[in-house]
Amino acid sequence: MTSIQVLAAATVAAPIVTAVLAALVPARWVARTAVAGAVPTAVLALSLAGLAVADAAHPVTGRWIVVDAAGGLLLAVIAVTGLTSVLLSPAWLRGSSGSLVAGRRRDRVYYAVLLVFWAVLLAVPLAGNLGAAWLLVEATTAASAVLVGFSGRRHALEAGWKYLILTSLGLGVALLGIAILAAGLPGGAGGLAWQQLATFGSGRPAAVSAYLLLLTGLAAKIGWAPVHNWLPDAHSEAPPPVSALLSGALLPAVLLIAWRSERALAPVIGLHPAQRVLIGFGLASLAVAVPFLWRPMPFKRLLAYSSLEHMGVIALGVGFGTPLALAGVAVHIAGHAAAKALGFHCATPLLAHEPRAASHPVTGIGRTAPALGAAIGVSLGALSGLPPSPLFVSEVLILAGGFSSGRSWAAAAAAVLLALGFLGLAHAAIETVAGKAHGRDGARLPGLRPVAALAGVSVIFLLGLAAVAPWLAGTGFVAALERGVP
Amino acid sequence: MTGLEAWLVVGLGLGVIVVRRRSVATGLVTVQALVLAGLALHRAGTSSDVVVALALAARALGLGALFLFAVARSREQQPVRAHLAPALRAGIAVVLILVLTGLVPAFGLTSPVAGRAVLALVGTGLTCVATRRATLFQVLGIVLVENGLALAALMSPHASSLVIELGVTLDLTLIAVVAALFHLRIFSELGAGDSGALRGLRD
Repeated sequence: MTSIQVLAAATVAAPIVTAVLAALVPARWVARTAVAGAVPTAVLALSLAGLAVADAAHPVTGRWIVVDAAGGLLLAVIAVTGLTSVLLSPAWLRGSSGSLVAGRRRDRVYYAVLLVFWAVLLAVPLAGNLGAAWLLVEATTAASAVLVGFSGRRHALEAGWKYLILTSLGLGVALLGIAILAAGLPGGAGGLAWQQLATFGSGRPAAVSAYLLLLTGLAAKIGWAPVHNWLPDAHSEAPPPVSALLSGALLPAVLLIAWRSERALAPVIGLHPAQRVLIGFGLASLAVAVPFLWRPMPFKRLLAYSSLEHMGVIALGVGFGTPLALAGVAVHIAGHAAAKALGFHCATPLLAHEPRAASHPVTGIGRTAPALGAAIGVSLGALSGLPPSPLFVSEVLILAGGFSSGRSWAAAAAAVLLALGFLGLAHAAIETVAGKAHGRDGARLPGLRPVAALAGVSVIFLLGLAAVAPWLAGTGFVAALERGVP
Repeated sequence: MTGLEAWLVVGLGLGVIVVRRRSVATGLVTVQALVLAGLALHRAGTSSDVVVALALAARALGLGALFLFAVARSREQQPVRAHLAPALRAGIAVVLILVLTGLVPAFGLTSPVAGRAVLALVGTGLTCVATRRATLFQVLGIVLVENGLALAALMSPHASSLVIELGVTLDLTLIAVVAALFHLRIFSELGAGDSGALRGLRD
């Protein structure tokens, strides 16, 4: 094994070992064990991501493992999002009651499942073949469904059930696509390495069918419209740290599998037809999300529909496929994860400050809890694409990439939808932060201090990302994204 | 794969669409998976193939036992009625199967019959999830889809990948265990394993 492969194995093993320890240590040590294990996990993953991005021109590829530029980007995103989720979980657990499991085992089960979910997520961008990637994505479903329904409340059970059934069914459809591919590859199921998909030999019609089934199935997990029905429910009912991980890390990680499949199968089905499918999902997701962004919504549900919009934007960028658009994709994945994770983490103090926020739109949070209002403002402002948000820069890059690729109609339609989405979300941000305020008890705000600290770090990161974004398109990193897995 | 074998596995799947009792449906899915395991054992040429066949059989029996346990722990006062009559559900399944077999070209399995049987099982599973309200039937729909995919792996012209085959088996088992946990919790919360009652989250 090379040193990179050892590092990759350690990155995935660290949270699993921590999960085992969290399941075994005395109850009062569970949270501290989880936090103590999360920090080295994030350090390992960020080191690996750093190596992958720094040496983007020379990816490590094998039958079971790949460490490349796109994988490095996703590893970094999953590492940071996972770390914040573990660090902010104690505040949520302290302020909540009831769960799927017996009370005295609640925290132990929560941390063990959260860490296993994180471990599997970290493995997804490292999967060296389509079969292994599918297995890992399916494994995230089992762990994350438990977490979505973890509160045990009726609505959480409904959300967890929909998530489990719809995504499992979608992944079953994706597996049918993989079975068709395996039947046409010289090595069968053992020949599903990304580099070998281009050797598919059962003809273009079968390849197109396989690709459509694969992408439709993955779309159900990514939350692309029109197969997104589970997404608003799961994101709004899951514990806030889990919602952050689902939205900021899981969705783009699965999207990476769709992206790799598009790159790998393009030689067989043609680059433009492969990209058109992604553009179709992107436009459909934007068109479905925008009307909901204009409606008054409970805070977490609003963030969920924003996820639908942003996964659509990333799909468009990947579908346009030019260096400009791919630079936009990279910035969008990182910026969306930071802003969305911050938004979901704000929900922990918000729900204590204003319990109606679970089921109703809330207004004027900045008037009754200024620090929380500021954090929510940063999150929603960045997600809406309000300059100087990096998501504004990334959307401009993606649209410019769309026009430069000759897909003017798709880029123009996306521009109109993005403008409408911006207006809806910016209005929601203003109302939530500075709208009319009701009398609230400002004394009890669990988790406010770490959320405020996270908001500060996020502002620095988002501004830094916005500053480097315009220069990214000409770099070796984006050239590596364009190449895919060699 | 012979036509008789294909009709047998597809017929068992269609049975799940129309039967009323959860225990009967569980039995049909278990028998279907055991038939597939038998086929796998019959065709096994290497020790890996034997391991895959035994894993399929273990999965079939394990999931059957799990679902029967879930049925026993969630006795309904009366079965959860689907919105659609059994004949209509079967009709929808047949139409979906015809559409799938018409749209998806032959994809290189060892026999064309096997390819059509795979698509039929996937169509049956999708119909089961979409048309049955009982939570346990929806999980059985997913197992039907996975049985179809197990058949595809079995009838592939190439050697199977042991890691991937066992991984799929493990993943499905995990999903089924989590689904059974949810089913029991939904039953204790609502007094019925009825997905139709889970309609509180709407925009």
